[in-house]
Amino acid sequence: MKALVAIKLTYDVNQIKFDKEGNPILDSCPKVMGEADKCAVEEAVRLKERAGAEVTAVTIGSSKEHYRILRDAYAMGVDKAVIVKAENSEKLDALTIARILASLNQRLGPFDVIFVGSGASDTHSSVIGPMLASLLGYKLLANSDKISFEDGKFKVVSTLEDGQYRMEASPPVVITVTSEANEPRIPTIKDILRSKKKPIEEISPSDLGIETREVTLRNLTRYVVPRKRIKIDATENVEEAVEKLLKMLEEEGVI
Amino acid sequence: MVNFEFSEDEIRFRDSVREFAKRYIEPKWVEIDEKGRIPLDLIKKMGEQGLFAIPVPEEYGGMGGTMVMAAIAVEEIAYHDPSVAVAVYALLNNGWPLALALFGQEEAKMEILPKVASGDAFFGIASTEPQGGSDVAGIKTVAKKVGDKWIVNGEKSYISGVREIQELPEGGGFFFIAKTEKAVWSHKRITAFALLPKWNGKIKPGWKPTVFEEIGRHGISTGGFTLENFEIEDKYRIGEVNKGFYLVLQGFNIARTLVAAATIGSARWALDRAKEWLTTRKLFQGRPIASFEGISFKFAELYTELEAARYFVYKAAWMIDNTYLTKDPKFKPYDLNLPVAMAKLKAPEVTTRIYEEVLKWFGAYGYTKDCNLYRGWLGTFSYTIGAEGAQNIMRYIIARDVLGSEAVRNVWVKEEE
Ligand SMILES: Cc1cc2nc3c(=O)[nH]c(=O)nc-3n(C[C@H](O)[C@H](O)[C@H](O)COP(=O)(O)OP(=O)(O)OC[C@H]3O[C@@H](n4cnc5c(N)ncnc54)[C@H](O)[C@@H]3O)c2cc1C
Repeated sequence: MKALVAIKLTYDVNQIKFDKEGNPILDSCPKVMGEADKCAVEEAVRLKERAGAEVTAVTIGSSKEHYRILRDAYAMGVDKAVIVKAENSEKLDALTIARILASLNQRLGPFDVIFVGSGASDTHSSVIGPMLASLLGYKLLANSDKISFEDGKFKVVSTLEDGQYRMEASPPVVITVTSEANEPRIPTIKDILRSKKKPIEEISPSDLGIETREVTLRNLTRYVVPRKRIKIDATENVEEAVEKLLKMLEEEGVI
Repeated sequence: MVNFEFSEDEIRFRDSVREFAKRYIEPKWVEIDEKGRIPLDLIKKMGEQGLFAIPVPEEYGGMGGTMVMAAIAVEEIAYHDPSVAVAVYALLNNGWPLALALFGQEEAKMEILPKVASGDAFFGIASTEPQGGSDVAGIKTVAKKVGDKWIVNGEKSYISGVREIQELPEGGGFFFIAKTEKAVWSHKRITAFALLPKWNGKIKPGWKPTVFEEIGRHGISTGGFTLENFEIEDKYRIGEVNKGFYLVLQGFNIARTLVAAATIGSARWALDRAKEWLTTRKLFQGRPIASFEGISFKFAELYTELEAARYFVYKAAWMIDNTYLTKDPKFKPYDLNLPVAMAKLKAPEVTTRIYEEVLKWFGAYGYTKDCNLYRGWLGTFSYTIGAEGAQNIMRYIIARDVLGSEAVRNVWVKEEE
């Protein structure tokens, strides 16, 4: 079995600082492999351990940090790493990314299973997986919180607002993995030191016949829920104040 | 060439240790201090993660890393267990295995080090004796050569890990020093050994341990033991006969650097807690207490002191790497005495000062057990007392190195024959 796992370089959401207006200061924010993507790598490596899959990790971009997250994937246990060297990768639109991955499938695959994160830690558009599945005509197991491979089939559990969905499909399949799916392994020092020496295959988008038409991201604005301040005096009668608070919260549609 | 940057490998390693410590150590640290032990499964997990024997070459089961990496690991672990018990466990099992790897005999290294690296055995240091730890040349424990064995009699005290080696599946032991043949005051009559009171799961005859009760860092034990006609095979001798003093001092340089790394990790935790508290605790019409210069200036000073201590630590670690762990050494072992003594002098003292201030900033809450700051305070305080060398001994080393040994010779003693 051949598996591909696609990973994205994103901001380390735990380290984002905000300016006085509450806007994120992104310039100085460290970048890491997305959280859900890390879980996707973990699933791919588990598949390797349990079912002997050969796992390739891919990222799209050209910075030093892109190479680093591929080394991180190596440290977690993938067998091969590929970088699609697109300049300005953060400005590529989702469809172009999906097309790049689809043509990688032709060039390096075909893969029996392609793991992607269910959403990136920064943009969280969650569309790469579905687009890729439809471009390739693969089945899609989306938003998977629990993943197993039994009797030649992938079985997943997906938790949505209205309940849990159990889905299964035989390969070829695209699985989008949530950050709840597992606890990604932490590479050991030896894994880290060894990963430095592993090769990273470089491919340019034009090698894949893809035009990286730039959809320029003009502005990323923060959607702010207007904050309302309500003061309730609880110095005299606490019970009354609690009643009042509950009523107001209800009126606001909070509870 | 001056370079204050960690390499990519070091940063990735730091992040991995941070993640590990956050996941497995931080949720348990208070319980570890409260119950007075590090769970054995945590020790095993740390072994699997490769947190022991970091600077030991891979051929001996070590991680093939560096002292800088060991310091990074110890600092991160201490941040997530500021009582420093887990960090001390880790630092002993990084520093002394390296000393064994550098000076021990091949067979013993092959036998001992992989088990320490995996977390199945402990390897610390046993030099201190009841009559006084600072006077290393004055130890009274004696090893006599009989045939191809050494017969040892004497007593060691304040030794970390005495309980742990009894509880670990394999056991373990210590980088150990004794007088050769007779107990006279001398630097030139000390031989070093790997002393393994419990090995392959069995306690050896002639070893009687006790465990002391301490005021802090309860997670790791400190105790004493007597040795009565305890046998050590010659393959466990470390280095040449009568060269033990010089070897244990080199081991101390390695371990002291990591001790300093542990205290700065704990101090960083305390300052991070202070940062949060000083900016959110509001008094006098809603002003954060950080807005009072009586507080923010002190914070600034301590923050600066801690950063200075960190430079000492990593410089010492880097120098050790460039002394022992490189093909072409930049330094000689004795070049390490001064930078290491400065790191070991500075880091614990800064840490104690930080805890004293931060506790006060937390007001009455700081004095409660619930606040947990006291655990870091009492834990790190051990390093202003002794543990890998008393602070005055660091001052002595610094003064001797800078002013010259004749000028500062305060120990007017003669070698005895
Ligand atoms: C928590 C803890 C863990 C420890 N773990 C270990 C261990 O694992 N292995 C081990 O071998 N030891 C260990 N020790 C012992 C430690 O190394 C000793 O405490 C240290 O060497 C000092 O020895 P001492 O306590 O006997 O004090 P002493 O040597 O008796 O010194 C008493 C005081 O006199 C001062 N002093 C001594 N000589 C001079 C001088 N020439 N000039 C000025 N002042 C001087 C010292 O600074 C000290 O303040 C541990 C200690 C502690 C507190």
